[in-house]
Amino acid sequence: MRLIISTLAAIGLSAVFAGDVRADAAAGKAAFEAQKCTGCHYADGPAREKSIADQLAKKGPELWYAGSKFKKDWLNAWLQDPKPIRALAYNSLTKKNAGDHPKLSGGDAGNMTDFLMSKTSSEVKAGTIKPKKSLKGKSIFNKKMPCTGCHQSASKKGKVSGGLSGPTLVGASKRLNPDWIYAYLKNPTHFKPFKAMPTFAGLLKDKDLKNVSKHVSKLK
Amino acid sequence: MKKMIKITLLAAVFGLVGLMNTETAKAAGAAETFKFYCAQCHGLEGKGKGPNVTKDFPVTPRDFSNAKEMSKLSDDYIRGIVMDGGPSQSKSPLMPPWGKTISEADVNGLIKHLRGICKCKGKAG
Repeated sequence: MRLIISTLAAIGLSAVFAGDVRADAAAGKAAFEAQKCTGCHYADGPAREKSIADQLAKKGPELWYAGSKFKKDWLNAWLQDPKPIRALAYNSLTKKNAGDHPKLSGGDAGNMTDFLMSKTSSEVKAGTIKPKKSLKGKSIFNKKMPCTGCHQSASKKGKVSGGLSGPTLVGASKRLNPDWIYAYLKNPTHFKPFKAMPTFAGLLKDKDLKNVSKHVSKLK
Repeated sequence: MKKMIKITLLAAVFGLVGLMNTETAKAAGAAETFKFYCAQCHGLEGKGKGPNVTKDFPVTPRDFSNAKEMSKLSDDYIRGIVMDGGPSQSKSPLMPPWGKTISEADVNGLIKHLRGICKCKGKAG
């Protein structure tokens, strides 16, 4: 009998917690709309862009798969202290990123993180990529393919180099979900139908897409 | 009979206007394609000075406004390097392979756009 009561209590408690999480995500959704985040970001998938013009009309990146793309702790911290991820303003090749993304308080950031982490894509399969050193991935990233032409990364000694048109990959290990990196390399147009990055799927073997994903997921 | 000829002529004129519109649309598309994909490294004016070309950039992207150099390149060479990347023509891997990203028709449009920038023709073959 005691066992039944404890089990029921445990079920009840977990339901309360689950309710809390939903409540936070709901509060985050309300804050997302109230703070006019929707002016620059859309958070309902699937991808909406039907042309290059559609992509260029966006003021900020789409967030409908944010929960599959980002790591939760990073997102929560970034929303409270947003440092530019791109050297250039979104969709611009001439304007610098002004670094003026709105900052959120701890409470709002937590709620919004819960909301954004609930936005996932079924294309991203958990546990596909285990972040670990990949010499093959490193060689493809740095030498065989043009990744460094558009993305910055840091060497072991911390020297940052690379192009400016793509998002920086300095700190990618803290920011990006390794499984998302692979899913994006494998089927990029599912996430971004029109993107300035070349499609490498079909040019690189699947094994090498995984090697590059491992390498990027270790970048500090 | 005269009526038939009139209708045929009218159809031909409208057909020609339609064709011209398509070509115009294609030209606008090529400029947009260039700006979206190529200008990152080659610059909005095609002079090889895109925002990725920082002091660390190890090669000099092609200056498409240099008619003397551009006239040495055939359209087939340009098509090959755009579709298959720099290493396919013994050039830098920083020139990406766009073959899985940009359609061949759009690459052909890009080549015309580049010829417009250099105001030159490519060498044969």
